[in-house]
Amino acid sequence: MPLIEADPAAGLYIHIPFCRAKCTYCDFNSFAGLEPLYGEYVRAVAQELESGPRAELRTVYIGGGTPTVLPLSDLSHLLEAARRGRPLPPGTEVTIEANPGTVDGAVLDGLLSLGVNRLSLGIQSFDDEELQLLGRIHTAAEALAAFQAARDAGLQNISLDLIFGLPGQDLDAWRASLDRALDLGPEHLSLYALSVEPGTRLAASIRQGELPRPDPDLAADMYELAEEACAAAGYQHYEISNWARQDGLRCEHNLIYWRNEAYVGVGAGAHSWARGQRWANVASPSAYVALISRGESPLASSEAIPPELEMGETMMMGLRLLDEGVPFERFRRRFGSDLRQRYAAEIDELDQLGLVEVDEERLRLAPRGRLLANQVFYRFLPL
Amino acid sequence: MMDQERIRNFSIIAHIDHGKSTLADRLLEQTGTLTDREMMDQVLDSMDLEREKGVTIKASAVRMAYRGEGGQEYVLNLIDTPGHVDFTYEVSRALEACEGALLVVDASQGVQAQTLANLYLALDADLTIVPIINKIDLPSARPEEVAQEVEDLLGIPAEEAIYTSAKEGTGAEAVLRAVVERIPAPRGQGDAPLRALIFDSHYDPYKGVIAYVRVVDGDLRLDEQLLLMSNRQPVDPLEIGVFRPGMKPTDRLGAGEVGYVATGLKTLQDCRVGDTLTVKANPAQQLLPGYRPAKPMVFAGLYPADGEDYELLRDALAKLQLNDASLVYEPETSQALGFGFRCGFLGLFHMDIIQERLEREYDLDVVFTSPSVEYQVLKTDGQVVAIDNPAKLPPEQEIDQIEEPWMQIQVFTPAEYIGPVMDLVTKRRGEVTKMEYLDAQRVLLAYEIPLSEIVVDFYDHLKSRTRGYASLDYSPADYRPGDLVKLEVLVGGQPVDALSIIVHREHAFLKGQKLVSKMREVIPRQMFDVAIQAAQGNRVISRATVKALRKDVLSKCYGGDVTRKRKLLEKQKAGKKRMRKVGQVEIPQEAFLSVLRLGDE
Repeated sequence: MPLIEADPAAGLYIHIPFCRAKCTYCDFNSFAGLEPLYGEYVRAVAQELESGPRAELRTVYIGGGTPTVLPLSDLSHLLEAARRGRPLPPGTEVTIEANPGTVDGAVLDGLLSLGVNRLSLGIQSFDDEELQLLGRIHTAAEALAAFQAARDAGLQNISLDLIFGLPGQDLDAWRASLDRALDLGPEHLSLYALSVEPGTRLAASIRQGELPRPDPDLAADMYELAEEACAAAGYQHYEISNWARQDGLRCEHNLIYWRNEAYVGVGAGAHSWARGQRWANVASPSAYVALISRGESPLASSEAIPPELEMGETMMMGLRLLDEGVPFERFRRRFGSDLRQRYAAEIDELDQLGLVEVDEERLRLAPRGRLLANQVFYRFLPL
Repeated sequence: MMDQERIRNFSIIAHIDHGKSTLADRLLEQTGTLTDREMMDQVLDSMDLEREKGVTIKASAVRMAYRGEGGQEYVLNLIDTPGHVDFTYEVSRALEACEGALLVVDASQGVQAQTLANLYLALDADLTIVPIINKIDLPSARPEEVAQEVEDLLGIPAEEAIYTSAKEGTGAEAVLRAVVERIPAPRGQGDAPLRALIFDSHYDPYKGVIAYVRVVDGDLRLDEQLLLMSNRQPVDPLEIGVFRPGMKPTDRLGAGEVGYVATGLKTLQDCRVGDTLTVKANPAQQLLPGYRPAKPMVFAGLYPADGEDYELLRDALAKLQLNDASLVYEPETSQALGFGFRCGFLGLFHMDIIQERLEREYDLDVVFTSPSVEYQVLKTDGQVVAIDNPAKLPPEQEIDQIEEPWMQIQVFTPAEYIGPVMDLVTKRRGEVTKMEYLDAQRVLLAYEIPLSEIVVDFYDHLKSRTRGYASLDYSPADYRPGDLVKLEVLVGGQPVDALSIIVHREHAFLKGQKLVSKMREVIPRQMFDVAIQAAQGNRVISRATVKALRKDVLSKCYGGDVTRKRKLLEKQKAGKKRMRKVGQVEIPQEAFLSVLRLGDE
């Protein structure tokens, strides 16, 4: 990880590619049934962390997969390796993703003692039938229990993930799940529209007619319903899919992605971005373990990002932030040019389509642009 | 100089698959023109496509030596004819080069529409007909009945028919003997100024256009400058010769002989089939009768499915045209489909063949717009304009009358399918002119029908309605006024040029509905509602709406994989770049293609 050196502060992502069971909609780099590999994998990731240079961490995010399938001792080992020689200023956000079926009071106490201060719970739905359709390993009741346990353990920054636009889900069903999530009063909410990815079991079920194909217009209605409900409950809609109770409760780690700032990922398939380079490790956990154990680089690909592309990526990611958008001054400091001039034609066209707003300080999505954000983003990519 | 008495020029008339090529092979073998080792199956059909489709696209010729009874040596020239209905003119010129024809009829299938059509051409050319009943080896063969059928049709006594099995090689000698005995020798004037009929041609990269000729009068010599009579084009022959079956140079061809002239000309268009070659210094007074410039009947826009292939398509058409003088084309630009070509074809089969050759030989994915015929439009100001592209039809209020080409078609079908055939033809505005039972089972149906009604999938429907048993022939009749209207498809209020068609008023509504519903399926949702309309003149007869796009946003970016997200957006942007704009509406070219490719029914 020579790049942390050059960028004294970066976000750190640690990938745990393991799950108890593969969810039907999931096409991420995660695998069920790899329990025998856990130990070796943790050692390999620790080694990747150990061999990297020392630099200050802005955030730590342990994601997956389901990081909490690992025993506490493994997680502890990983966090120790991450911190060794790397300053972690007090109050730095340390997030772990957890599946409600994998945490109890003891685990949560342990996580807190390891310095984890933010929990991202993959609830997805409060409807057992929907949970089954998604292939989740937990019930709605277990999800509620996990949340309560996290509160009882003392976690004060909990985020819940929900998915909408499921096959067969109607507005009322979505409203019901959402209301239960809001009733819990989490600090943060991530609400994602289901995307049916090729190669998943869900895609096959839909293709074979076992499940209805989700209607994108209904998903749009659900999104608008969520916007209203979250606003009414006092949440700030700060990113296309993310809501926070207040400024300080936004996800710091994800803000690094959205602001296109430096982060380093370790573990199988983890992605990194720093110093004009994007790179990624090999996706296969066993290949990753094998490379690390032979002392070889786990790198699978890397790409130099020329300034013009970096600008485009900065727009594409930055415009996801709804109130922040892309501030002109920040853009100017980073690229030495005025965003309004650089993208005059694009902004003009998007403005006429009612998809963006420009004020004195920044460019951001107009409310109409939130559901049509791709139409905005691609215009900023060089091609 | 070859004595004309020792020459016989003949061709073979047969329906597809009745065994013409196999019989030709047997004759070549029998006369020793090819040794067994040189013998390839079906020598005369040189293109793969012909072999597969069972049709002969290009005519060819071969000279055989035959020793008759009593040891007399003869030269037999077999002139092959193109085997399908679009090439009637070419067939007629090839037959004109002969004195006789072998009429090959399948012993189980009997006479078919195409056989009859070519037979009429042969009779027009005053040829002596020798009936051959082929495939007598088949279990279903009924040679006597078929011979009787031929007698009924032609008046040639059934007992004069020769029975063959070209496949097994039986009867070849009898055929050769009949050629010598029954077909007359040429009767040209050896001392008159040269007149040689061009009955076919091909392009050779080194020698230019090779004209296939039948010397009618006079002498064709290598050392004399020649002249093409129709266009006064001088020709300095690079080589003359005969086909045996390869090209074998000689220094002269006398009256009655068949051979070739390497002209050095660069395009087939300069050297038309049916034209007459004469000697420039001592020209003949009159062209041989029957010359007609090539006249396309069916027109379509050809567009590369991938715009980047435009140059490849242009080169491919140029190469096809080198060997197909009847293919005409010119550049055309469509708002919807980009750069392409307006092409004219002799008929629907010709168009199919070009399409297939572009795909197969040039590996091009080419989109054909709905084929059109050439309309004669009488305008209110008295002008008459020929329109072969519906998009170019003048506005309704400027049109006094539209005339369209009508055809005569003949369908041979088993009697049980009369109903379905009638139904098909009358649905397409056809009118019965004749119905004749050839025997208890088979019927000849003659109709007149607008060409526009048969250019799209008529033949396919005819085949499927008759389980493949019907055969079809057609020939131009005349132009007749029709109650025709232009049907336009409008997207967001703008007409889409490539989708305009000219239809009969009564069909406009249904066609309009179909086009609109097809378009609605394939136009992606835009940032606003898009109206799709079918309009007849200024009147909208069908409409539908593509609702505005509501949701187009990528969800979460897992673990910082920005690249994947970016690639998806880049793909979206690249797709957008390839889109055609009709007004404000962006439509992927694939959408037009799928509308054009969806069959008519």
